[in-house]
Amino acid sequence: MSALQRPGRRLFALIIASSLIGAANLPARAAPKVAAASDLQFALTEVAEAFRRETGDDVLVTFGSSGNFYRQIRQGAPFELYLSADEQFVLDLAADGFTIGEGALYAIGRIVIITPEGSPVAADSGLTDLRAALADGRLDKFAIPNPEHAPYGGRAREALRHAGLWEALAPRLVLGENVSQAAQFATSGSTQGGIIAYSLALSKNVSALASFALIPASWHSPLRQRMVLLKQAGDSAKAFYGFIRGPRGRAILERHGFTPPGGTP
Amino acid sequence: MMDWDALWLSVRLGALTVLILLPVAVLVGRWLAVTRVSGKSLIEASLALPIVLPPTVLGLYLLVAFGAGSWIGRLWQSLFGHTLVFTFEGLLIASVIVNIPFAVQPIQRAFEAIPPDLREAAACCGLSRWRSLWRIELPLAWPGIMTGMVLTFAHTLGEFGVVLMVGGSIPGETRTISIAIYDRVQAFDNESAGLMAGVLLLISMVTIALSYLLTHRLGHRHD
Amino acid sequence: MTELAMTDAGGLSVRIEQDQPIPLDIEFTARPGEILAIVGPSGSGKSTTLRAIAGLDTPQSGRIVCNGVTWLDTGSDINIAARRRQVGLVFQSYALFPHLTTLENILEALQDRPPAGREDEARELLARIRLDGLEERLPRQLSGGQQQRVAVARALARRPDVLLLDEPFSAVDRVTRQRLQRELAELRHDLPMPVLLVTHDLDEAARLADRICVIHRGRSLQTASPETVMTRPVSPLVARLVNLRNVFSGSVKEHRESAGVTRLAWQGRTIEAGLSDAFEPGEPVTWCVPADSIIVHRRDRPSQGDRENPLSGIVREAVQLGQTTELVIVVGGDDRQPFHLSIPTHAARRNGIVVGAEIGFSIRAEAVHLMPPEPGGPEYEQSAID
Repeated sequence: MSALQRPGRRLFALIIASSLIGAANLPARAAPKVAAASDLQFALTEVAEAFRRETGDDVLVTFGSSGNFYRQIRQGAPFELYLSADEQFVLDLAADGFTIGEGALYAIGRIVIITPEGSPVAADSGLTDLRAALADGRLDKFAIPNPEHAPYGGRAREALRHAGLWEALAPRLVLGENVSQAAQFATSGSTQGGIIAYSLALSKNVSALASFALIPASWHSPLRQRMVLLKQAGDSAKAFYGFIRGPRGRAILERHGFTPPGGTP
Repeated sequence: MMDWDALWLSVRLGALTVLILLPVAVLVGRWLAVTRVSGKSLIEASLALPIVLPPTVLGLYLLVAFGAGSWIGRLWQSLFGHTLVFTFEGLLIASVIVNIPFAVQPIQRAFEAIPPDLREAAACCGLSRWRSLWRIELPLAWPGIMTGMVLTFAHTLGEFGVVLMVGGSIPGETRTISIAIYDRVQAFDNESAGLMAGVLLLISMVTIALSYLLTHRLGHRHD
Repeated sequence: MTELAMTDAGGLSVRIEQDQPIPLDIEFTARPGEILAIVGPSGSGKSTTLRAIAGLDTPQSGRIVCNGVTWLDTGSDINIAARRRQVGLVFQSYALFPHLTTLENILEALQDRPPAGREDEARELLARIRLDGLEERLPRQLSGGQQQRVAVARALARRPDVLLLDEPFSAVDRVTRQRLQRELAELRHDLPMPVLLVTHDLDEAARLADRICVIHRGRSLQTASPETVMTRPVSPLVARLVNLRNVFSGSVKEHRESAGVTRLAWQGRTIEAGLSDAFEPGEPVTWCVPADSIIVHRRDRPSQGDRENPLSGIVREAVQLGQTTELVIVVGGDDRQPFHLSIPTHAARRNGIVVGAEIGFSIRAEAVHLMPPEPGGPEYEQSAID
């Protein structure tokens, strides 16, 4: 083989060798893995930070669609704590023995209509301008989370149906894979607005770019957000679970737009 | 902020995929190049499936095939105490399967391009089958093999749909850099996302440029 | 000498029969040190035969024995792989390993020797075929002739029991070809093994080979020295394949043993041939005579004696090709069986031989050769050869 190949092969061999060493010596990660619905993006990050300050322990949070996590947990995903945006997912898992008990409600969620800066559509609680914009052609695209597996998407659909706007809006919908992606779409300027989680709209990153308005809770079934410890949960996960339910956790959640369970939204 | 863990994870995944696929693809590619077996087209078509199927579909099938409900998954669980999916090993297996056509096809073409009378000349010179492969065919097919390996590495670095389904974005375990970028975008952290995307692009370009350089040098040797 | 007896004494014996993929019916032997040319038009099965001997293809049925070792015997399920037969094969395309130097190409064929002497042997071989100094060159840096020599050296490095050359001179220009042919002719004295040379060029075969085997559509028709094949072909088909164009149909009139003559009836005339009593009087025969046994009479000198089959006819064609003029002469007005011969152009001019002119010529009786009549008569056209 020509000499020209040697430097390439040496580099290659080096990468291979270190990969194998790396694979063998992965540090044992004691930090528990937490699966959290996307609407908790900012809220739970703050809670985890507070938890670390108080106990010195880390948690590894992965945000995504509640529905996807539900499927992955059924397939044996190594999460120790699951915070769903819809309690039905949790109850199903509990019924099939994946969890420790049925967990607990940690919040009631709310949806908002949000419109980015410069949008021809205005955000108002009654969706009146949305209705008008549909009629006069100001609205081209509207973003919501995917109703099939994102709880916030399902509630968005219910609310739109309640307002009699679903049929007219359906052809103009852009579906986000989870509520975070819907927020991306709604605020990026490629759509004229969307319906997303209240908790996301409140965050500085998002509110800087947009205006929003709460949609009446009576327009949709409640977003009963439930969390549960999974069978393989360790002590650290249990501690975190308790922390979220405790006063400090609850306060942070409330600040981010979540109604405490038992309270009125 | 750069997620070095994720980058290192992606590089390791790519390198190990290449390492595992290299001998497999060479043997399979060579066999396909010379065999005249009757089911050959069918075999080639099934090996090409991962290119044709959408990554999420692939990911779903792999998840079902290796997940906790499957016999492979259960076997793994009993041997190692945890699932095969949502681990680096699971990702590696998925990555190897998904990259088969990227590795095999260029290598097969490279072996096909070797004039058959060279192989015959090797036989008439008394070379054993092994020596014929090692000394005559491999050096001639090497540029194609390199292409296959580079494509595999680059493809793995960028793989998203399958990794998401089978890996689950577990930090340090299955959160590759492409997942990490997606994650940062979702968190409205465009700075980090942009930084990581830039690094990924740089690495990919350097890898590809380097291997094309080597390929051209080799190619000229016996044009 | 039967074939079996030949193989006991060393050398190669080949017998191949098959219907698929192309029909073959080949049988010949080759002695050590002999050059046997396998000659035939394209597609006649020459290369297939060579590949079968090398072991690259397996015929449906056959037996190949070389130096007492059975390489192939379909009846006894013996089929030694190509890499284990000691064959040296020079491919038409040379098939040099493009990524290895000249020296390395040769070394690949020396792997069965002890490592210590390999390089020396390789260098010696290269010197023998006059390629020393080119050891480090890659094939693409060599001329066509040089590449061919490397291919031959590599084949010889194997110390083969038989050397096979597949149209080795077809890819080079004429000057190089002649030089390479000369080198082969010189080299052959050092070659203790039988050498099989496949070619479609009859002249080349005649120049280089001790014997030629004429093949047509997969059948070996005649294996004999070039001179024999070209003056005494075994059938009219072979006659045509060796470009013997003076082929005529007639019948035997009588034999005159005492005079050593057989008299033929042809177109109302009598032709005298050497005694060939294998044919019965009255039997139809095909007879032929090589062009160089036809002597044109000079204008001013009539023929002498009647052992020479004097004939006269009209020149139908006179084609000048450089120093030679090719004539087609029709005797007795029968266009179907003309005579073909060549004479020097200056002689043609001197004797006023032009189209339409009358011309007298003689045929040497000894050169007249009798063959079994072919089906369909001498109108058996060129199509039979394709």
